[in-house]
Parts: sequence; structure tokens; C-alpha cells
Amino acid sequence: MKLLWALSALLLSCWRVNASTAPNIITEPSEVTNQTSAVLSCNLTDSSLPIKGSYWVLNGKTIEKSESSDSAPFTSLSLDKINHHSAGKYECVFQTEPEVKQMIEVKILPHVSAHKHSEHGNENDVVVLVCDSHGYPLPTDWSWFKEENDVKMPISNGTGDKYEIKSTPNKTSLTIIDLKIEKDAGDYFCSGTNELGTKTDKVHLRVRSRLAALWPFLGIVAEVIILVAIIFIYEKRRKPDEITDDDDSGSAPLKSNSTTNHKDKNVRQRNSN
Amino acid sequence: MNNHGPKAKSHSGEAEGPNGDWSWVLVGALFISTGLVFGLMRIMGIFFVEFVNYFEESSQSISWITSISLATQQFFSPVATALCNAYETRAVVMTGGFLSGLGLIAASQATCLVHLYLSMGVITGLGWALVFTPMMATVVANISQRRALALGLGLSSIGIFSFTLSPLFQLLVEMYTWRGALLIMGGLSLNIMVCGALIRPQWCSKALKKVDSKPRSSCATVLRRVSSYLELPVLLERPYLTYTATITIFNAGYFVPYVHLVALSRMTGFSEYQAAFIMSATGVTDILGRVTTGWFSDLGYFRTIHLLSLWVVLAGLFIILLPVSSLTGSYAALMAISLLYGFCSGALSSLVFAVMPMIVGVERVMGALGLLQLIESGAGLLGAPLSGLLKDMTGNYTVSFIVAGSFLIVGTLIMTTLPHYFSRTDPPPPHRVPHDVKDRGVHLELEHINNSPSDTSPKGAQ
Repeated sequence: MKLLWALSALLLSCWRVNASTAPNIITEPSEVTNQTSAVLSCNLTDSSLPIKGSYWVLNGKTIEKSESSDSAPFTSLSLDKINHHSAGKYECVFQTEPEVKQMIEVKILPHVSAHKHSEHGNENDVVVLVCDSHGYPLPTDWSWFKEENDVKMPISNGTGDKYEIKSTPNKTSLTIIDLKIEKDAGDYFCSGTNELGTKTDKVHLRVRSRLAALWPFLGIVAEVIILVAIIFIYEKRRKPDEITDDDDSGSAPLKSNSTTNHKDKNVRQRNSN
Repeated sequence: MNNHGPKAKSHSGEAEGPNGDWSWVLVGALFISTGLVFGLMRIMGIFFVEFVNYFEESSQSISWITSISLATQQFFSPVATALCNAYETRAVVMTGGFLSGLGLIAASQATCLVHLYLSMGVITGLGWALVFTPMMATVVANISQRRALALGLGLSSIGIFSFTLSPLFQLLVEMYTWRGALLIMGGLSLNIMVCGALIRPQWCSKALKKVDSKPRSSCATVLRRVSSYLELPVLLERPYLTYTATITIFNAGYFVPYVHLVALSRMTGFSEYQAAFIMSATGVTDILGRVTTGWFSDLGYFRTIHLLSLWVVLAGLFIILLPVSSLTGSYAALMAISLLYGFCSGALSSLVFAVMPMIVGVERVMGALGLLQLIESGAGLLGAPLSGLLKDMTGNYTVSFIVAGSFLIVGTLIMTTLPHYFSRTDPPPPHRVPHDVKDRGVHLELEHINNSPSDTSPKGAQ
């Protein structure tokens, strides 16, 4: 009898030890996909270790205001708006010795945006269209399309050396060389695909001819020539006398005016004495 | 020789008499041409990023373009004014307008950085030299009634042009790429020729005076003529030297804030937009300062030179206060001091030119301004790098701003050593000692004509 008791006590204590070395966190939900809002919760079970508190981590960075010193084995985080800023890998961390944590992934469709929605390129020159993506998970596939006659034609890498596509998970770039006004101007679409789906953004490309600025320039030059001509003609027409007065010999009429003024000034000065 | 008297008289007669309206046309020409020179210089920065990307050069080598154009403009100022003394101002300014446009048009076709240095830097800078100082001197010499206001209005265009053309050129670069935008900029610069055409030929007195000089073309005569065109003898006069030294020291300090204010604001912790907004607001008060001080100075309550000293001392104080206000961390404090600084710096920059006729006399203003530009350019080139060096050495901008502000205050102290500084009214402007004995009689006449209400009329230079 006593032997049975000792054995069962030993077995119980063994179980206890096993239970306390393997705390279990139950997460609810285990994964968030394509929702606009969610409440993440973690439940720490089978643990006898003291809990000093808990906090949440997003993509390796502690979330402010998620820290609590509550010793309860339960913590939750509510996400009101899930967008490309708040998607990612969440971890709930319980401050025990040692810390225990569990991960919840919040996944959304990729957020694809072009650097510039309206791009300009020069004729016969090179242009680079760039799109990037934020959020989680980052796209695994990128593709580019060109819209022709309302049909999206795919662009593949190295099509006749005209197009070059370089892609990384968070950025893609389409390099077009030897731009032609007729063929290359128009709408381009970049698409990023992850495990949940695909998102697309649009870039409008304008190709300027080399001589586009020539017309305003010629207009300005014409305006300058016309104004200068008007000024010269006005001078020659209105005041032909003054121009002859420029010669030293012609200063006689001016002299009489100035001497009268001169006298006035001298008079003024004498009065002020 | 008897022509000296009536010729000189007809100039002031034209400004004050029935042709006074044409003087305001001249101010308008100054407005547009100064705006197209310095306004365009200020927005060269828009092309900065484009050039760095296209030519794949470092920002330092690209920033040389602006430095070369500014240095060329200031260095060749005496040459420009000498040409004006020798030939017609109108021809010189129109050539300058043509050259500045040509430089920018050539720059639009540049294929390497050296092309830009030569076209946008040297050719355009040379064009600007032929435009700015001659126009300034023409306005200063020919408008005596409301000189400071005319100068203030004329120079206000720098701020207005850079303010309005900045977004316009950003758009032009977007639409036509930088080559197209430079081409259009060159076309706009050609408008300076229109401004030059507005200068009446008879306003340049020296060329006509020189017609009667002896036909001997010996070396000595030629040298003497050249030196008189360049107004070199003015360098031997103490008042001019004092004034030039003062302005040179001003130049070393007064636009340090324009260069480093944005960096100072960013260092204090404000965002890019907040820093840029401070700069724009400072530019607006700069314009206000120029026009207001011009108007106020012409009212006659104070001597122009006293007002100039006041604005300089205030500007120096505010420059010193700038890093202090940034230490408090308050955006409002930094903004307030910057606005006040902008007002004072605008005010002082237009009065600098208005004081010159009092120092050297109206006839020599052309050459004197040219030499002044050349000498002060040295300080300008040193000022900004010096403050940058101080910042690198000490780690923040406090010392460099304090040094810049103290330059201004030291300069004012030097300015007080000018003759007649402490007298209540303007002294009579000096006249050149005539070479011929015959001229002396005419010079007495001249002194009577050009005197302000004071009685004493010193002969020749002070």
C-alpha cells in the first residue's frame, strides 16, 4: 500500500514537472487573414511560473501601450483597422522566467503603390517606372502590364531588350529604353501577388519630344525682339531732338534751361544763408 | 569743356523734371533685370538634383556651377562698369542680357559637367556682370529724389522672382525635362535686353565727356583712360576704402543664415517642411524690408547712412539670436527671429547701394560700384565656407552664427570712422580733381549745383 502511494506521488510529481517545463499558450485566433479588424488573444495554460506581466510585439518591435503588469495568464490586443501598417507578425510575450511567447500572423492583400503615378520620359531616352509594396506578407510575384486598346498586355523581362524588370519582395522596377512617343506613352500596371491575392497600381507615362520646349522658347525670343524693336522705334519717332542733342555741339538749347535753373538754385542757397 | 556744366545739370533735370516718369520706367527695368539675374541664380538649385542624377556627379561638383556664376558676376563687375564708362550703358546691358541668355541656352545642350561650368557658370556669369552693376549704377546716378525707394523697389524683385519662379520652374522641369527648362530660362534671360534698351543713351555721361580728350594714343594716355574708366583712383581715397572694407566685412556674415538656416532648423528638430517654410517667410520679410526702408529713408528723417548702420547692427543681433532661439526649441521663437532678420537683411542690402553716391559722388558711382562688387566678392566666397568650417569644428551652428553676427557689428564700428559720420545732415558729395586748369571754373559751378543745403563745399576729393 505504502509502495503504491509513493509510486503515485512520484508519478504525479513527474507529471507536474513535465507540465511546468512546457507551458502552453493558446492563441485565438491562430491566424488572421484578410480581415478589416480583429482581436488577438493569448491564454497561458499549464504554467505554475509566476507572471510579472505581458506585452505584445509587432515585427520585432514592442508595441507601446500594450505592456501590462497584470499577472493574469491572459492578454489580448485589439486591432481596429488592419492595413499595411498594422499587418505583420504579432507575438504575445508573457514575462515569466524564462519568457514565453507565441506568434499570430496578421495577413492582408499586398498594398501596391507606384512611386509616381505620372511619369515623364524623353524621346529616345530611358525611363524607370517603380512600384513598391508594404504590408505582410510581401509579394512573391511581380508582373507588369501595358494597356493597349483596353487590353492589358503582359510585359516579360527582356522582350527584345526594350524592357527590363527587376523585382525584390518590396519593390519592382520596369526600365524602358529607347522611348518612342507613339508606341510607349500610355498606362502601365504593376501587379504584386502574395498568398492571399493580387493588387495592382497604375502609372501613366508621357513621352516628350526633344523639341517640345522649343516652341515656348521661340515664343519668348519673338516677344523680346518685338519689344526691343518697339522701344527703338518709339525713341526714334517721338524724340528725334534729344538724339541730336547728344552731340556736344547741340547742347546750346539745354544750356539756357540749365542756367535758369542754376540761378534758381543759387538763389535758394543764398536765402538759406 | 563748357559742356560739363549743362551736361551734368541735364541729368538731374531729367530725373526730377518733366522726365521724372521715365525714371520710374528705369526702376521697372532694374526690377526685371535684377530679378532675372539674382532670382534665376537662386532657383538654380532646382536643377541641382536633376544634374546630380543625370551626370552622376557629386553634389559638391554640381554646386560649383552656382559658385562659378556668382564669382564671375562679381569679378567682372569693374570690367562691366569700365565698359559703360567707355561706351554706352545701353549697349553693355543688352550685350549682357544676350550673353546670359546664350549661356543658359548652351547649357541646355550640355553633355558633360565641364560644359555646364563654362556655359551656365562663366558665360552666364559674365552676362550677369554686364547687367547688374551697370543697371544699379545707372539708377543710383540718375535718380536723386527718391533714390532709396527706387533701389528698394528694384531690388525687391530678387525675392519676388525667386518666390514665384521656383514652383514654375519645378513644373517646367517636370514637363520639359531640365534641358527644356534651361532653354526656356535662357529665353527669359533674353528679356534683360529689353530692360537694357530702356536706358537712354545720354544718361552715360563719361563717354561723352571723354570725346574731347587729346587724340594722342600713347601708352600713358591709354593707361590713364583705362584707369579712369575703371575708377581706380577712387581706391586711393580713405572714405571709399573705409566703406568698401565695411561692406566686405558685412558680406562675410550677412547671408550666412540664408545658407545655414535650414540646416539649423533641421538640427533643432523641425521637419523639412517647417524649415523650408521658415526660409520662405524670411524671403517675404526680405522683400518687405527692402521696400519699406527705401520709402522710410527717402522721407528724410534720418540720414541714409545712419539707417544703414541701424539695420546692420540689428541684423547682426538677430543673427546672434538665431541659434539662441533655436536652443529654446520653440518654433515660434525661431520663426520670429528669422522674420526680423529677413527684414533687416533686406533693408540693409538696398541701402548699401544708396549710400555710395554720398561717398564718391554721382559721376563715379558706376566705377565705384564695380570695384566694390569685386572686392566684396572675396568675403562672400569665404563667408559661407567659414561658417561651415566652424560648424564642423564645434559640432553645432552657434559659434558660426555668432561669428557671422559679430562680423556685421564690427563692420558697423568701422563704418563710424567714415568722415562726417556723426553729422546731422549729409555732407556734400566729393568731386574729382580736374586734370585741366580750365575745368576748375566749371567745377565751382558744379559744386554749387550738386550741393545739399550745407554751405561748405570742399574742392576735390575729401
